Amino acid sequence: MKVEYINPFVQGTTSVFSTMLGWELQRGGIFAKNSSQPEFEVSGIIGLSGRAVGCVVLSMSRSAALQVAESMLGETASEINDTVVDAVGELANMIAGSSKAKLEQFQLSISIPTVIIGKGFAIAFPKEVPRVCIPFDSPYGPLTLEIGFKEGTPAGSSSNSVVVQAV
Amino acid sequence: MNKVLVVDDSSTMRKILARSLNAVGVANVVEAGNGNEALACLGRDQFSLVLTDWNMPEKNGLELVKDMRAGGNKVPVIMITTEAEKGQVVAAIQAGVSDYLLKPFTPEVLKEKLERFLA
Repeated sequence: MKVEYINPFVQGTTSVFSTMLGWELQRGGIFAKNSSQPEFEVSGIIGLSGRAVGCVVLSMSRSAALQVAESMLGETASEINDTVVDAVGELANMIAGSSKAKLEQFQLSISIPTVIIGKGFAIAFPKEVPRVCIPFDSPYGPLTLEIGFKEGTPAGSSSNSVVVQAV
Repeated sequence: MNKVLVVDDSSTMRKILARSLNAVGVANVVEAGNGNEALACLGRDQFSLVLTDWNMPEKNGLELVKDMRAGGNKVPVIMITTEAEKGQVVAAIQAGVSDYLLKPFTPEVLKEKLERFLA
């Protein structure tokens, strides 16, 4: 995957967390991801389509997700509730949305976010789309951004929906 | 007294916007989850300002603005969205959007936008 496809998502992630939550993220080393399971317990997923196809997965620990809701809304949550789920989904939405503007040549559409709770799921990226994982450290624990991105539109891949299956 | 309509399918974003409106003295905030709900609210009540997202199910923000202007509704509309491509911004302005705010945004930038439109 070309670095110019990854950079907008990295910049989008640090910008969104800094602007909306006041969290400064430290990026770790990017690695190719072979597993289809999310890294952490709470994951916001966005599908991409247009002149490229792909997927963005923002994954974080349960405690980080609870803190997201507190930082964004000033609401203290003791469990993953609708508010926390929506907050994580909105973060994924803003990361994908702000990134797509820097990939204007692909005329990307982004899906409505899906949030899954737990690690016992496989997130199926579109066929033949390479998958990388970017780890970040935050003040409230680690989180990851997984990106799948491939130029062109593989046959049968006009939709930006993402398939999630229990494993 | 100002009454503002906030339109976004994300409850998180609606809460953030409502809090910012409260912070600038607007206590009367009505929420809608998509463009159709917003049009129903606009048919029932008078608003000083509309804040709307772009991408929403059922009826998106651009369609909402077009429907408002076609119906003669001249209430100012601030589009709050991640859509930053030049063509999208031009389309929004041509549809009748009064101002544009990109996500993510700081509370200070939002406050500045709001104060421009609120009495």
